Amino acid sequence: MRVLVTGMGGELGTRVAQLLEERDEASEIAGFDMWPPRRRLRRSEFHRIEPLDQERITEFVHDFAPEIVIHYGVYEPDSRLGGREAAEASEACTVHVLTAAAETGGLERVAVRSGLEVYGRGRGRPVVPAEDAPLAPTSPYGRTCLEVETLAAALVRRLGIPVAALRLAPVVGSHVPSPLGRVLRLPLVPVPALADPAFVLLSQEDAARAMVEAVMRSVDGPVNVVGRGAASPWQAARLGGRIPIPVLGPGWDAARRIAEIAGAPVPPHVVELLRQGRAGDGTRAHDVLSLPGLRSTLEICTELYEWGTVSQLRPAEDVA
Amino acid sequence: MSASPDTAYGLTEDDRVQALESPLAFARRRFDGEFHIDAFGGDAQLMDLAGLVVAFGVRVEVEHAERLPHIGGALVVANRGLGLVEPAALAVAVRVAVGRRLRVIGAPDTPILGDIVRKIGAVGYRADDVAALLRAGHLAAAPLASTWLRSGAGAPPRELLAAILGYPVVPAAVLPGGPGPLPIRPWRVIVGPVVETATDAVPGDTLAGAELAERTRAAVNRLLETARGSG
Repeated sequence: MRVLVTGMGGELGTRVAQLLEERDEASEIAGFDMWPPRRRLRRSEFHRIEPLDQERITEFVHDFAPEIVIHYGVYEPDSRLGGREAAEASEACTVHVLTAAAETGGLERVAVRSGLEVYGRGRGRPVVPAEDAPLAPTSPYGRTCLEVETLAAALVRRLGIPVAALRLAPVVGSHVPSPLGRVLRLPLVPVPALADPAFVLLSQEDAARAMVEAVMRSVDGPVNVVGRGAASPWQAARLGGRIPIPVLGPGWDAARRIAEIAGAPVPPHVVELLRQGRAGDGTRAHDVLSLPGLRSTLEICTELYEWGTVSQLRPAEDVA
Repeated sequence: MSASPDTAYGLTEDDRVQALESPLAFARRRFDGEFHIDAFGGDAQLMDLAGLVVAFGVRVEVEHAERLPHIGGALVVANRGLGLVEPAALAVAVRVAVGRRLRVIGAPDTPILGDIVRKIGAVGYRADDVAALLRAGHLAAAPLASTWLRSGAGAPPRELLAAILGYPVVPAAVLPGGPGPLPIRPWRVIVGPVVETATDAVPGDTLAGAELAERTRAAVNRLLETARGSG
């Protein structure tokens, strides 16, 4: 089968391509992104295309005529692109890829990246939403994910094929450019002063495995994918030996500015996670994706702090 | 870091009560963040500590403890008067009888207090959250509506029972006693057999949920009447 992977230049997209290369069913693999792949790919074809470049995307997709589309070209704000750029790139990429793929006539299955952010947080909402919970995002990234899901649902209506929307917990891991990971690794971590809500994480490896299983098993509809257990902001900060700094109400704005100066921009969905937590019911993923050995949130947090610190090497001063 | 999270307190993927560590080890674990919490906000270590404190204050006698499930998701439905001591007595009964942590439904959706009670095991009164809790394999307790003079079983939580159709519903009667250190009678918790449900009912079936709710109330009432007759 011919598999198209969008967002192939990111850690997750590259890993998805690597996992597909191990599958005999994936006879041809191709993908594109605005950055080159992060690891070596043996039999995948990569094209460097901007997500806003409708003409090149359409031409590439028409030429490849994919039977399966894995859409990882959904960009989290402040991971590699700023908030507005990430939203524009995600929505444009989704529209261009799905439209072009539908026009080829041979499309059989699709899986798109979404996030638990589609449920939103706040009073009157479930703490651990299942897939049938109301979708009412309360952050720009949540709204982007909902837009991606809406576009994918339109494809289902047009072609009648299975389309899986994987609502991933925040993906944190070594080498994944994650705004949450950057904040948690600051020496001083902003945490809510009057609460300590639970949040769940997902490892990059599990996120990639989930996407591959979703298309190979022809999963249809939304699926929450979350790691085992949970953690809290105070706990995560202490796990890394960081100092939690309690923040109240308007203090979050100041905390965001200070963190940005320190090199860790904090988009609204990450502030929301720190203040109100984020979780999802992963029962359906357990049933339909069968992912053994999912990493726990606590393990992912611990690994986050086990990255080696970058050491500046001094050049040799006196050479011969 | 002193220990891998794999060996951290409570990270055993189940809800068994564990022995508490020494105060020093407890404090170190809290300081280092090496403890387990779940997606509902429950903190295993704090739940066990709170359970121990409550067990000291509320002496409980359990009848038909063998009817409480040892594993898997289930809902215990019990009567209550003012609503605070009965859930505590029930939690102690479950802890003593089957060694599980009971998740009491009814955490307030307010800052600070809501957060604290969630950490010691309570969950909010939302049908979809309770259904997720049972799917995750926890044992939860739902109170019937308050009856101020403990005159019988109060109104059942219909919406909640409709959402958890398919999981065992265990009725229980809680009868008042006195505080632990005082030489007066203990609280009595009488556990009834699992309430039968329609085999073809699916979660969300309002009519089947209402029927289950009425059967559950009747089962709790029978337990209360039998207890008062024998007491």
